[in-house]
Formats: sequence, structure tokens, C-alpha cells
Amino acid sequence: MDELLNALLRALAFGTPLLLASLGAVINERAGVVNLGVEGMMALGALAGFAVAYGDGSPGSGSIALGIVAAMAAGGLAALLHAFITITLRANQFVSGLSLTLLGLGVAGLLGKKYEGFPLFGQPNQWPFTIGAIVLALLLAFWLTSTRAGLTLRSVGENPAAADVLGLNVNLIRYGAVAFGGALAGLAGAYLSLVYRPSWTDGMTAGLGWIAVALVIFVGWNPLRAIFGSVFFGLLYYLQFRLQGKTFIPTEFFAAMPYLLVIVVLAFAGLRGQQGAAPEALGRPYTRGER
Amino acid sequence: MIRFVPIADPPRGRVIWVTLAALVFALVVAGLIFLAAGTNPFEAYSAMLQGTVSDWSGWSEVLRRGTPLLLIGIGLTLAFRAQFFNIGAEGQLLLGAIAAGGIALFTPLPPLVMLPAMFVGGALAGGLWALIAAFLKTRLRVNEILTTLMLNYVATYLLIYLINGPWKGKNVRGFIYSDDFPDFAQLPTLPGTQVGWPTLLLGVLLAVGLQWFLGRSTGGYELRVAGENPEAARYAGISVSSVLFKMAMVTGGAAGLAGVGEVAGIHHKLLEPSQISSGYGFTAVIVAWLARGNPLLCLITAPLMGIILAGGDVLKINLNLPFRITDVFSGVILMSLIASEIFVKNRVKWGK
Amino acid sequence: MSKITKLLALALALTAAATTQAGAQDAKLKACFIYVGPTGDIGWSYAHDQGRKAAEKALPWLETQYVESVPEGQALPVIDRLAKNGCQVIFTTSFGYMDDTLAAAKKYPNIIFAHNAGFKRNANMATYMADFYQVYYLNGLAAGALSKSGKVGFVGTYPIPELKRHLSAFALGVKAANPKASVNVKWINSWFDPAKTREASEALLSEGADVLTSAEDSATGVQTAGAKNIPTFSHYNPMLKFSPSNVVSGHIVHWDKIYIDFLTKVHNGTYTTKNLANVDYWWLLSKGAVEMGADMNMPFTVKFAAQLKAAKMMVGGKSVSVYDRITALNAQMKKGESFDPFTGPVKDRNGVLRVPAGKTMSIGDLNNMSWVAPGVVGQVADEPKK
Repeated sequence: MDELLNALLRALAFGTPLLLASLGAVINERAGVVNLGVEGMMALGALAGFAVAYGDGSPGSGSIALGIVAAMAAGGLAALLHAFITITLRANQFVSGLSLTLLGLGVAGLLGKKYEGFPLFGQPNQWPFTIGAIVLALLLAFWLTSTRAGLTLRSVGENPAAADVLGLNVNLIRYGAVAFGGALAGLAGAYLSLVYRPSWTDGMTAGLGWIAVALVIFVGWNPLRAIFGSVFFGLLYYLQFRLQGKTFIPTEFFAAMPYLLVIVVLAFAGLRGQQGAAPEALGRPYTRGER
Repeated sequence: MIRFVPIADPPRGRVIWVTLAALVFALVVAGLIFLAAGTNPFEAYSAMLQGTVSDWSGWSEVLRRGTPLLLIGIGLTLAFRAQFFNIGAEGQLLLGAIAAGGIALFTPLPPLVMLPAMFVGGALAGGLWALIAAFLKTRLRVNEILTTLMLNYVATYLLIYLINGPWKGKNVRGFIYSDDFPDFAQLPTLPGTQVGWPTLLLGVLLAVGLQWFLGRSTGGYELRVAGENPEAARYAGISVSSVLFKMAMVTGGAAGLAGVGEVAGIHHKLLEPSQISSGYGFTAVIVAWLARGNPLLCLITAPLMGIILAGGDVLKINLNLPFRITDVFSGVILMSLIASEIFVKNRVKWGK
Repeated sequence: MSKITKLLALALALTAAATTQAGAQDAKLKACFIYVGPTGDIGWSYAHDQGRKAAEKALPWLETQYVESVPEGQALPVIDRLAKNGCQVIFTTSFGYMDDTLAAAKKYPNIIFAHNAGFKRNANMATYMADFYQVYYLNGLAAGALSKSGKVGFVGTYPIPELKRHLSAFALGVKAANPKASVNVKWINSWFDPAKTREASEALLSEGADVLTSAEDSATGVQTAGAKNIPTFSHYNPMLKFSPSNVVSGHIVHWDKIYIDFLTKVHNGTYTTKNLANVDYWWLLSKGAVEMGADMNMPFTVKFAAQLKAAKMMVGGKSVSVYDRITALNAQMKKGESFDPFTGPVKDRNGVLRVPAGKTMSIGDLNNMSWVAPGVVGQVADEPKK
């Protein structure tokens, strides 16, 4: 029983940044904009959060709360660059996101050099983040399905032309959604550098941003399912080590298991026709008069 | 407010000067970053040019990076035409490397057929790896972004398992490497370089061949319709899954060829996945996009990206800049090029 | 020729001679370093870079350059560029650079190469390694004494001989201090991955480990132990500041000892491009290339020193404090005296005799070690059955 509880706790601890980042991405994708730059935004958030929380290293020179704000701002600003390029300049969202990954990792690595090798003390407790992420997922689920604003967001992602005819400012709404996605990716980064580690090292996001990108699809663009998706992945991620050495199955098989199972689960959902569908206008810039 | 007004008949030269303007803009921005890092931008750019395009050793570095990018990029142009977002070229490349390694180390093939067999095996392995995603997409509607991305990790652990277990070399002191490939399973290179010329040649032939195929046959049309509007394609009597399967074999196969080229041309053994490909699969997405979906144009965009990557190396080595400068530099240039696309076919109008 | 021109010519010649003279005095030895990771990783490449900096500080005639994050297949082109930049000595700091370094040594017969962790040499290519196995044994003694559950956790990177050697020495130490204890190992199949290190550590803790050490290139293992308030060890670099109340001791490398010795011998002409074929540094505690400590010059933290003084173990039928035992063995090995953790008889964990009674392992044996010692619990790849 202890063992089960412990596994669940690990799943929540590891799943929290995944949940935060994938919730953000669910929102910008529901508005019709893909952002593959999550990994880069997460790295920027991790650095900004750590830098502000750490200050100059002396006690009281940094602030955790401001660090969290800075992380969200860093992620949000990076996302706005993506928004400008893909919404205003109508460029390809996939390539722009990939470039943002490069740019984000690069800028964070360059600026972060002087923060490497220092621990953060007085780190915040994990639970406000974890519970906050779950509450946010519930709120977003309600907001998307049951409020006028949520409906508006979805209509922009499903049928922007119709939304435009109704007098909605499609591009402005998309800007907001992309910025929200970036802010949450930044927050996920701050969780890594302030709570999970807690310190900053170049490359510390180690692919978690990509997992979040995949989770959005895995959970069918649904914030409620995102809770289960990220806990599911977190559980598998922990179990790869917990199960290691218990059998003659090679360690590498357990390491590959989380990724394989994500595919298998989604394939089964596909067999039974239970996958969520992607927003109709996902990935396509909107121009008035075009369809 | 910015508004873009489409130009009815954009002049052909416009794409060139818009691209040049974007490059200049990027160089200015990157220059400011260099300045902030305490490096004179002019010194940085002249070092980059000297180290890449001014002599043979510089070009050899550009080609070494450009060759895998070319092969993968060509394959991805097809995938994009079919709206198949393959971000799993990294894994397909690794599968190509694995197949090549398996054939080189464990089959008793005579020297003459060894390298061709490795290329064929690598292409098949990479293609089949992409086919998994295509199959899941057409039959079970599993999104290919998720499948290809996840399969990258699976390929990584498959390779680690092999060189950590059954394929671990006898002469590597227990480190995680395979043994060296026999001499006849190593690619001939351009003199004094690590550029395997057969791989480069394959890339050029594939670029020309696929461009011809797309232009001359109905293949290109089928690909586009099957990707953009499967319903219409079915109505027109096109078998969507068969088109997508073929496309997957080509896009994954090309990445597989790149993997064969890397291990047979440079490493001559199997080794840790992150040492075989440092992100070629992702960078090639941008190569394919810059080529606007034309395999032939990859012959320009892949070396261009090669210059950026090799130039980053020069910054790292000659000016002692941190290695992340390469990412920032390529990120700025790519962002700028991507952003510039709209200016090719549109004029800017300010105000309402 | 007028007098004035003559004078001018003379003056010019003199100036030129003076400049050459000064140039010769200013001529520095240029040593260049190739790292496989970034210098900020607080692990392997960071430690090499600390060594480079210390050497540059200690040797006024030395100038250095480094290149970080060079993938293994790319060493050759990087060496080409370094050769163009006038590097006279090139250190390649990863096993995977071995073949490329050898190829470069043949291509550039006038440059001196030194390759880290490998076994191929040439007239102008030496090899060097600073190894931890002695220190791991000492840390194992402390870990065994401090574990109440009898389970010590070990996060491993890849199951290669270096790791197996360290893991085994550690386990022998644990068992010597606490015969009932064992070392549980989990592999992360990566050199640097904080998330994997964290979850692998958590898995070890949930299996009952109450002392933890990690071989990954970050301080994550130490920080995880700190979060759970259990004893842990600095790895590779001082990590005391990451968890001041939980670090017991640790294994710290000093590459500068090797770099300074090697470069001094190049500078004074002992090492040339003709005589390196048998130069192999295998430096341990006795040369100061490695150190047992939570921090530099701090073998134990105060809190744990007290606990280890109170803990007893049996040595040759007599009860001694673990602290005294560690301190005595550390001093012995520093002086190069006879104690060695792998002194036979040593069996592997399947009961096969690996080191006969009275013998120790050769450097070659240590570098090819595929078995692991008794006390290691968990999966170990490529382990010989007989």
C-alpha cells in the first residue's frame, strides 16, 4: 500500500510540469495554433525563475514569487514571438515552433552560464504547484465547455471564418491563447528549477517539453484527460526505475516503455474510436476572405 | 495595424531580395547578440566565412553537416506535401544506422555488395519505422506527430540496448560501442574529409529523381490530395493509405540512408545515439520547409544550413564562444527566414 | 649607401633582433582541450575545465584554449581547426575520441596529443586517467556504517567497466563496514539527465535505501538525498553546498595534477613528439589526482565524522572505529602503500573467484572489468556468468 501511494506521489511530482505545459498547449491548440517550442519556452522559464529566485545568492536577495512571475513572463514573451510570426506574418507554425525550441534553449544556455552550479535553498513546496495544476485543469475544462469565452476560443480554432463573421477578433484571441500557453510552459520550467531540482543547469529540461507536446495529442486536447495523461506518463516514468532489476527484461526496455505505451494506448483508443479530434483549423493561419 | 496586400503577380526576383533582406536582418540581430557576448560581430562573421566557404577544409565541414540534412530534408519535402508531420526523422535515422551496423557486423556478405546492402537495409529500416506512424494514422487515426516523436525515444533505447548487450564490441573495453565495421563496410570519403561521397551522391540523385517524379507523374498530385483532403482523394479513386505508405517509406527511407552514411562514413561503428545525430532530424524539417517542398531546392537549403552549423563550430573554436551560440545563431536566422516568407507574395500596408 | 641609411639599417636590424628575442621569451606553450559536454555541467567536462584553469594559473608559460560539447564523431575536424590555430598540445577528454585522436596524431606528427580514458597510444600520443576506485571503497565504508536499513542506493549511468569498478569497490567497502548490507543499483542509461536521476533515486529510496550516491553528471542525486534528509556523497566535483547537512564525504577529481605534470614535462623537453608511446598516466590517491572529501580538503563533514567515530567495524579481529579505518586507509593509499580495495581473494557476486589470494588487479584488469562484487543488488548488463 505504501508502495502504491509512493508511486502515485512520484507520478504527481513528475507529472506536474507535464500537466502545466500540456494544459498551456491545449489552450493554444484549441485556438488553432500549434507551438512546438514548448521545450525552448520551458528552458527560458526555468532559467528566469531560478535567476530571479536566486538573486545574487545571498539570503533575501531573490524572491520565489517574483521568480514564478518572471518564468511565466519569459515563457509568454517567447510565445508572443511565435504568435507574431505565425499569426501576423502567417508563417508555418511547425517550423516556427522548432526554431523557437532552438532559440529558447540557446538563449537560456547563454544567459544561464553564471547560474550554473548553485543550489536554491528555501525552495517552495511542491503541492501548491501540483494542486494548482489540477485545479487549473478542472477550471479550464469547465471554461472551455461551459462558458461563452471558452466557446469563443474553440470557435476560433474550429472555424475561424465563422468566428470572424460573428465579429470576433480571431487573431487577437489566438495571440492571447499562445501567450497563455507560453506562460504555462514557463511555469512548468520554474517548477523544474525551483521545486523539482532545485537549481539551474543548461539542458535540464531534457526533452520534457516534447513530452508535453505529445501529451496534448494523447489526451485529445482535453484538459480533464490531461490530468490523467500526465499522471499516467509520470507513473510510467517512475516505474521504469522501480521495475528495473526485478526481472530479466533489459533496463532499456523499461526505459522505452513510457513512450511505447503512449502509442499503444492511443492506438487502442483509435480502435474504439475514442480519440479526441484535433481542432479543425489547427496549424492554419487565418486570413479574412480565405477558407 | 499591419496589413498584407497580396501582390497579383509577384516578380520572380522578389523572393531573392526578400530572402537576402531577411538574412541581413538576422545578421544584424545576431551581431547585437555577439556584441552583448563581448565579441566583435565583424570579427565573428569573417571568422565564420573563413572557416566555412573560403577553403576546401571549410567546405568539407559544410558538406559533412549538409549531407545528412540533404537526405532527410528531401524525404521530408514529400511528407509535408502529404501533410504528414514527421518529426521522427531522428529515430528513422537511428534505425538506418542500426540496420547498417547489423549488416556490417553480422552478415557474411562479400565486400562488393556490403555497402549497397547496408544502404538498402538502412533505407528499409528507416522506412518501416516511419511506416508504423503512417499505418497508425491511416488505420487507427493516431496523430503522426505523437507517434513519430515517441518512436524517436524507442529507437534511442533500442540502439542503446543493442550496443550495451548483444552487439557490444569485443574490443571496446566494455564501453558501449559495437566493434568497428570491417574496412569494406566503411564508406570512401572525399580526400582529406569525413564526407562519404556515395552518401552525398545518393542525396543529389534522390533530389533530382524525386523532383522529376513529382513534376512528371501524377504522384505529386496524389500526394497533395491524399494529405489535404482524403475524402476528395478517395472520391477521385486514389488509395489514400497506399499513397501515404509509399510516402512514409520514402521519407523514412531517406532518413535511414542518412543514418547509414553517418555510421559507415564517419563513425565506422555503432555508438550512443546522441553522438550519432545531434538533432539532424529536427534541423532537416527546416531544410525541407526552406526548400518550399521541392526536393531539388534542398540542394541549396541543406548546404545553407550546413554553413550555419559549421559556422557555429568556428565561433565555438576560434572565438571561444559557448556552444549554445550555435543554437542562438541558427534560431535567429531561421526565425527571420520563416518570418520573411509572407513578404514574398504580399506588400505591407500600414493602417486600417 | 649613406651613413644615415647604414645607421637606419643597423637600427632596424637591432630592433628586429630584439623583437625576435622578446618573441622567443614570450612564446608560450599552447595547450588545447576538447570536451564532450558543456563546461557548466558540474560533472566530467566541468572538472576537466577546472583542471585546465588551474594549470594555466600555475604555469606562467602556458596558454590554453578549449572547445566544449564536441560530439564524438566530430573530434577530427575540431582538431584540424585547433592545429591551424597553433595548438602544440591537444588533450581529448573522452573515451570516444580515441580513434580520431590516433588518426590526428598520425596526421599531425609535430603536435603532442594526450587522450583521456583510452588505451591506444602513439609516438606523439599519450593516455591518462585519474581513477576513483580507491576513494569509492573509502566512501563505501562510510556508507555501510551509516546505513540503518542495510541498503545503500547507487544511481549508475551506463554499466561500463569504470562504473562497475566503482560500484564494486563501493560495495566491498559497504560490506567491510557492515557485512549484512547491500548496494542497490539503478541504471539511467545517460550521462546527464536530472529527471532520470531524481526518479531512479526515488525508486531506490522506496526499496529501502537510506544512503544514496549518484554517478550522474549533476548534483541531482545529492539534492534528492538532501530533500529526504539521508546521507550522500559529492560526485566528481565538490557538491557540499547543494546539501550541506547531508553530504558525508565524496570523490573529487583533480585533473590539474595530471595536466601540470604533463605540460611541465613537455615544456622542459622530457616529453617530445617521439617518446610518448609508453606514457600512460593512471593516477590515483597517491598522486593527488583524486581526493576523498565532501569539499576540497574536507574529508568528512563534522556531523558525520562524529557518527563515523562512534561506528565500529571489525578489522583483523579487532574492533576499530570506521572513521579511524577510513582515515588510516586514506593515508596509506595517499602514500602509495600496499593497501588496495581489490586485494584477493575477491569473488564476484556469483561466487566466481576473480582476484586470487594475495594478488591485486592490473590496470588492464581494472579497465576491462565486467563482473561486479558481492553485495551489489540489481541488474548489471554484460556480466560474465563464469
